Amino acid sequence: MSVANLYQQIVLDHHRTPRHHGVLAQATHNADGHNPLCGDHMHIELCIADDVLRDIAFNGEACAITTATASMMSERVIGLRREQIETLLASFDASLRATPDANAAVDLGELEALSELRRYPARLKCALLPWATLLAAWDIRISITTETAESPLP
Amino acid sequence: MSANVRSTRAADFDVQRCRADFPALQRHVHGKPLVYFDNANTAQKPLAVIEAVDGYYRRHNANVSRAVHTLGSEATALYEATRDKLRSFINAPSRDEVIFTRGATESINLVAYSWALPRLQSGDEILLTQMEHHANIVPWQLVCERTGAKIKVVPISQEGELLLDQLDALLTPRVKLLCLTHVSNVLGTVNPIARICAMARARGIPVLVDGSQAAPHLRIDVQALGCDFYAITGHKMFGPTGTGMLWAKRAILDAMPPFMGGGEMIKQVSFEKTVFNDLPYKFEAGTPNIAGVIGLGAAIDYINALGIETIRAIESDLLVYATQQLNTIPGMRIFGTAPGKAAVISFLIEGVHAHDLATILDTDGVAVRSGHHCAHPLMQFFGVAATARASLAFYNTREEVDVFITALLRARAMLL
Repeated sequence: MSVANLYQQIVLDHHRTPRHHGVLAQATHNADGHNPLCGDHMHIELCIADDVLRDIAFNGEACAITTATASMMSERVIGLRREQIETLLASFDASLRATPDANAAVDLGELEALSELRRYPARLKCALLPWATLLAAWDIRISITTETAESPLP
Repeated sequence: MSANVRSTRAADFDVQRCRADFPALQRHVHGKPLVYFDNANTAQKPLAVIEAVDGYYRRHNANVSRAVHTLGSEATALYEATRDKLRSFINAPSRDEVIFTRGATESINLVAYSWALPRLQSGDEILLTQMEHHANIVPWQLVCERTGAKIKVVPISQEGELLLDQLDALLTPRVKLLCLTHVSNVLGTVNPIARICAMARARGIPVLVDGSQAAPHLRIDVQALGCDFYAITGHKMFGPTGTGMLWAKRAILDAMPPFMGGGEMIKQVSFEKTVFNDLPYKFEAGTPNIAGVIGLGAAIDYINALGIETIRAIESDLLVYATQQLNTIPGMRIFGTAPGKAAVISFLIEGVHAHDLATILDTDGVAVRSGHHCAHPLMQFFGVAATARASLAFYNTREEVDVFITALLRARAMLL
């Protein structure tokens, strides 16, 4: 078992220069995700319109695996509806298991690189934190007041 | 002066012979010899401990203090022998003050529920420190929720030492109990318990000491320390998991109601009334972890045979060497630099997350802990979510430190 298979170039690239890292100017939803086992924290902001994810950003303090997952995930989920994201997550989750689902219909693309995590069960939650935070954000609309200039309210 | 004495004593120590006593240290992990640097989490067990547990089940298996048959007498004698060994290990005045528990967490909870809960009320304070393990925070929060008492916290310096002048100022008449760790599980700081107990005693404030990390490293003398409660866990001192001890002064224990009800802790039971057993059995309800306690006795024998001063000298040497080597790594930040600290090194390498580090080290056979070490408030003090921690024992070697450093450099090169 070589750990270089886990920390392969594509994963390290997303870790070093994460895509969609930061905040959104016009977030409609957000959530904080915590991994209480390690103290990691991730904040995710979404812009959802007509039930479609238009934009996403994340920040926080997290390990390379969590950061790379969040980065790859963010690139894949823009333009998707919630049920499409859930299908993608199901395939991703299956790829992390000891016996991956060979019938998984979705092509994971770069996220496939993280399937090496099946050899590191103690780190599975690192890869699932961004997804859990994304879905939590979808369910929790950002609190908006009429006092802010950015308010989408009329 | 003391360095010469130490090096002489440490020189007599045959580490390879000692390592042969620990079967788990012979293991390979991912094809590499195991380098076990997670001793503050739990220590490895010598054969003597494993065989004591095994021997109880093979030859003596019977319940304690209940059976008149031969096996019952043997089991009771072996079990109670550990109480005598523990009494001597911490220099308690009486074996009756040595209460077996499942670990330090249960010991602290016992005090929280049986001593603090009936006594504390709104307006009272429990004084903790910034460097406490969650096991010495959460039970007190539960007491505060139910009594209206409040928690106050003794701050620490950036080096990881308690600020004693602030501790002094916080010891007001409102404080009903001071709870602190003897040795920090994150920083390695050895707190000046005797001095702190004297400060508290002058104001009539009892002191509970969490000795989980002290027992494997230091000579413990509860009478010299002057504390009122002392908690120990067995598995960090080379004994089985699920074993531990609470020591408290007899007058305090006598005044406390039982923690749990059941068998063993009674003298006489009718449905109207129960007469509780004498110390220490009043606090030992139900069939205990007999095999574990017998194993703990073997662990104490092992420590005594080696000599706690020898252990301290070997670990000090390893700590100095490991710290020097770590400081050669670019971006290294060590948390806890108190003089005289125990061989516990929490650290981060700039730009490298502790979890990634621990995963890569594991593939080189090196076991360290990464995370918050059950000390969230301490992590918040240093402004980090997690650290990596290497905690050393007498069976570790400089060669293992070298493997560890090489693995760290590899991880750093891979991740940065």
